[in-house]
Amino acid sequence: MRLLRSMALGAVAIAAATTLAACGIQPTNTSSSGNNGTLTVDMASYPASLDPGLQYDTDSYSVYRNIFDQLLHRDSTTNKIVPWLATKWTQNDPTTWTFTIRSGVKFADGSPLTAADAAFSIQRILDPSFASQQNANFSAIASATGSGQTLTVKTKYPSPTLLTYLTTLSVVPMAYVQKVGNAAFNLKPMGSGPYSFVSDIPGSQVDLKRNDSWWGTKPSISQVTFRAVPAVASRIADLESGKAQIATELTSDSANQIKGNSNLQVLTSPTERVSYLAFNTINGGPTNNVNVRKAISMSIDYKSLIGNLEGGYAKQVNSMSTPLDLGYPTNLPNFAYNPTEAKSLLQAAGAVGQTVVMATSPSYDPQIVQAIQADIQAVGLKVQIQNTDQATYLEKVQSPTHDWGSIRFGQWSCSCEDSDGVVYPLFHTGTIWSSYSNPQFDNLVDQARQTLNQTTRNSLYNQAYGVLNKDLPGVGLFQIVSIYGAAKGVQYKPDPQQSFFVADMKLG
Amino acid sequence: MSAKRKADRRGLIPLIVVAVYVLVAIAAPLVAPHDPNGSDLAARLAGPFAERDGSRFLLGTDGLGRDVLSRIIFGARVSLTVAVATVLVSGVVGVALGVLAGWRRGWLGTVIMRIADIALSVPFFLLAILVVAVLGPSLVNVVICLALTRWPRYTRIAYAGVLETRERGFIRSTTALGANGWWIVLRHVLPEVLPLAVVVATLELGLMVVFEASLSFIGLGVQPPTPSWGSMLSDGQQYVATAWWLATFPGLALFGLVLAVNLLGDAVRDRLDPTRKVAASSKRRRRKEAVLDTVIGTEQPNA
Amino acid sequence: MSVATLISVSAPRPRAVAGGTVALLRYVGIRLGQAVIALLGMVTAVFFALRLSGDPARLLAPQGATEADIEQLRHTFGLDVPVWHQYTNFLVGLLHGNVGYSYVQRESALLLIAQRMPYTAQLALVALILSVVLGVVAGMIMALNRGGWGDRVITPIVLAGQAMPAFWTGILLILVFSVSLHLLPSTGYDGPASLLLPAITLASLSAATIARVTRGAVLEQLSRDYVRTARSKGASTFRLIWRHLLRNVSIPILTVCALETANLLGGSVVTELIFAWPGVGQLTVQSVSDRDFPVVQAIVILASTVYILINLVTDIAYGFIDPRVTASVRGGGAT
Repeated sequence: MRLLRSMALGAVAIAAATTLAACGIQPTNTSSSGNNGTLTVDMASYPASLDPGLQYDTDSYSVYRNIFDQLLHRDSTTNKIVPWLATKWTQNDPTTWTFTIRSGVKFADGSPLTAADAAFSIQRILDPSFASQQNANFSAIASATGSGQTLTVKTKYPSPTLLTYLTTLSVVPMAYVQKVGNAAFNLKPMGSGPYSFVSDIPGSQVDLKRNDSWWGTKPSISQVTFRAVPAVASRIADLESGKAQIATELTSDSANQIKGNSNLQVLTSPTERVSYLAFNTINGGPTNNVNVRKAISMSIDYKSLIGNLEGGYAKQVNSMSTPLDLGYPTNLPNFAYNPTEAKSLLQAAGAVGQTVVMATSPSYDPQIVQAIQADIQAVGLKVQIQNTDQATYLEKVQSPTHDWGSIRFGQWSCSCEDSDGVVYPLFHTGTIWSSYSNPQFDNLVDQARQTLNQTTRNSLYNQAYGVLNKDLPGVGLFQIVSIYGAAKGVQYKPDPQQSFFVADMKLG
Repeated sequence: MSAKRKADRRGLIPLIVVAVYVLVAIAAPLVAPHDPNGSDLAARLAGPFAERDGSRFLLGTDGLGRDVLSRIIFGARVSLTVAVATVLVSGVVGVALGVLAGWRRGWLGTVIMRIADIALSVPFFLLAILVVAVLGPSLVNVVICLALTRWPRYTRIAYAGVLETRERGFIRSTTALGANGWWIVLRHVLPEVLPLAVVVATLELGLMVVFEASLSFIGLGVQPPTPSWGSMLSDGQQYVATAWWLATFPGLALFGLVLAVNLLGDAVRDRLDPTRKVAASSKRRRRKEAVLDTVIGTEQPNA
Repeated sequence: MSVATLISVSAPRPRAVAGGTVALLRYVGIRLGQAVIALLGMVTAVFFALRLSGDPARLLAPQGATEADIEQLRHTFGLDVPVWHQYTNFLVGLLHGNVGYSYVQRESALLLIAQRMPYTAQLALVALILSVVLGVVAGMIMALNRGGWGDRVITPIVLAGQAMPAFWTGILLILVFSVSLHLLPSTGYDGPASLLLPAITLASLSAATIARVTRGAVLEQLSRDYVRTARSKGASTFRLIWRHLLRNVSIPILTVCALETANLLGGSVVTELIFAWPGVGQLTVQSVSDRDFPVVQAIVILASTVYILINLVTDIAYGFIDPRVTASVRGGGAT
């Protein structure tokens, strides 16, 4: 009996202790309504890093790009590259660029931002021991040096996509990073951007406040909280209960739910992300035959997929890229649904009744995969879905033996709005993703990769897309439209880069 | 005697319900009104009693326009098979090891219990990933994976049961009288341990259905579009507020099963109850045990 | 050697409660020694199996990466050397108390877990208290009222809690208490009030097991002689429960409570996802998906330690509840 009583006492004591501890763990931002310029944003996952030199997934990006300034920006309406930290830039020779860095820009600790900081930001990404995920994006750069307000970048070869990638380069404070070290900087990032880091609950939320000494126009929102809320249903509940004012990465079905609520609005933007099927043309069994690939491309009811399953939040495409990408082949017709033709192609190829394996991972919407399976089966092939977790999926489809099956479902975005970042890695002979090989295509994209003249590049890509359209190593299913839910008064215009600059937003 | 008959009657209705579940699963193609995989995007997310092209979808359609009722009926096959197999394998292995550890003790008992300690601690998701990596995907491996995570629960329960039971007067007296050890385990210890294990097992059944779905998710379980209750539940997750019927009906099917199996478990428990057996058995042994109790010390600990 | 002799040899110390503090400490020491061996075996198994399961560099590399980029990442993380070599490196680090740095977040794996632990612990504690109180009370009622109304009404309710998937209960609670009634925070951590909804969700799962086990254990005791005797002597039900039952049914209840505690401390993935709760469960799933080896290994070490300690405490507690068991447990542990 004494035992039970002491157990109970112990439990009460522990409960009291944890409650006290709980109060100690900073009860953040309890004002849930968006009063007084406070914005709360629900994202799907917590930023993998707050150091902008490391990860560049959408959720990390959305947070740290508000803390730092980027070298260049893309105008959200014209989609053109415009000055930001670099006020102007010139190309001295095919491989040398100089940038003039805006003067008077200060980091949050008051120290001035110079070209040396910009050069350092590039150098650390290129440093193999830093193991930046973005290393491959900047691999064309041979060196970056800064003196005063002048940044000089030399490339290994004439690189047409350099400026594109520099729009994603956030400039970090060299002296501060070197003083505190990379790990501490990642925990407590400090930049020159419109907002500065206040606090975080790892795995849950990051709080930023307006940086009043920022060089740009003073943002109207004074505080912003980014929260990681993985379940879509919970993000919507947060919008409905007023806990959050913006929720990102909604599904088309949940968008309809928001439309039914008069306090909320749906915001959208087409993205450069494409849902696609890629075929194994080397070791794929039936799909080694181009007619089988054509038949599969004709078996898919694109309009129904977009209209019914995606609720209209998607756009048809004619290739693996989107109209946002440089080199998009405007002359090609969209992929079209033609089951009768598909059946006769399969008949002619002698492939009717054969089984094809479709590889996918839980990272991709299982409904689309099953809808495609049903469409392909309707014209006479048997489709076996092989759903494995992302690590296994990559291991399989990137294996040099090409024995991963016949069809794979995936989504592609290079965050660069350039065909070089799409068709080169997907289909050039010997890249990790490619189970296709055509010397003519390789030659065209190799040339386009090192040509600076954009008109020449456009025509090279047009020819390359022509080859792909004939060989059909893959099918673009649709361009994905990003869906956001927001409180009625929020003024926010999502852009194709999904850049999420809070400084451009206003609360009602 | 009459109590026993009453227990039998209480077990009858749940038994019938469980039998119906099994029969429906076996006869799924005959019972299901539609093709469980027949999708129609134009008819997606239709509510219960929806009618389309002259056919009626009693429990509505899912996100691909498939009939929810037919998928529940076909889903029973995978879900029942996996759940029953897992509970049997982990229960039998777990109880056997727990009894062994509690009875033999010594180094063998130590090894068993320490393995059980750490086996409990492997995160389920990690174990599942490792099982796919090492053994590959198949329905048998699903059972292996689930059983690997669940056996230590039974082991710890059985172990605790044996520890307590073996110190009871009648066991110690029987032992002292030099009875064969395994005979005691089978005759006296196991009946003391089993009722609790059965209670846990009947609860585990429902959990295993849900667990199976998380395995499909990483490619270890059944692959889409093959239906299972678990995968229907997790698919319905994002539709709880908009298309309630997606998760509700498979949930109800599962609830019905869990309820029936638990009530059935109660009936089984009553039959296994050692005191009932004692009551029903010859008075001679009762008297013998009573005598032993007084000799060696009463069965009841000093409260 | 027959089983009977083994038993007679190893059970010679009945009722010698704990045999003094020294014996208890010795027992704990031996158990902890065994635990270290078990832990090492576990971590080793996980270490090698993980490396068969996928390549973190491939997951971390951007879409346009080349095989050379991926190789470079592997080199930086020390994954390009033979597995045995990686293993010895890992052991050396472990000896220095260093479990490694996360490949993804670039912070110490220990720090990442330490950041999440307070949230998981708080939630586990509240959920545990709720489920033990609800479970034991419901179990008692069901047993004492066996076959009656109490039993018939409570049984389905308890089982519904078990059969309802956590996401379902969770979303419904949010819709009712946050969206409609505006009483409690919907997701995330906003002070102690945030604990309530996720704790109820978790408790509805655990309470079922505890309630059913309590019911079974009480029923078993009710059929024992001493209860019959007490009842025939006219003891009231309340007094009966208080004086005799609670103690005698404690061992099975304690066993399942320990199992549920361990479960809860491991972090419940689904509940954490629905309530955006920054606990260990989410971190586990994330780091396993990312093949973030150092974090996964650290989690395994931590989880094993917690489980081992809980089981150790449970085994010692058996002895306090029923002193005769002490000898049994220790007999099992020490030989």
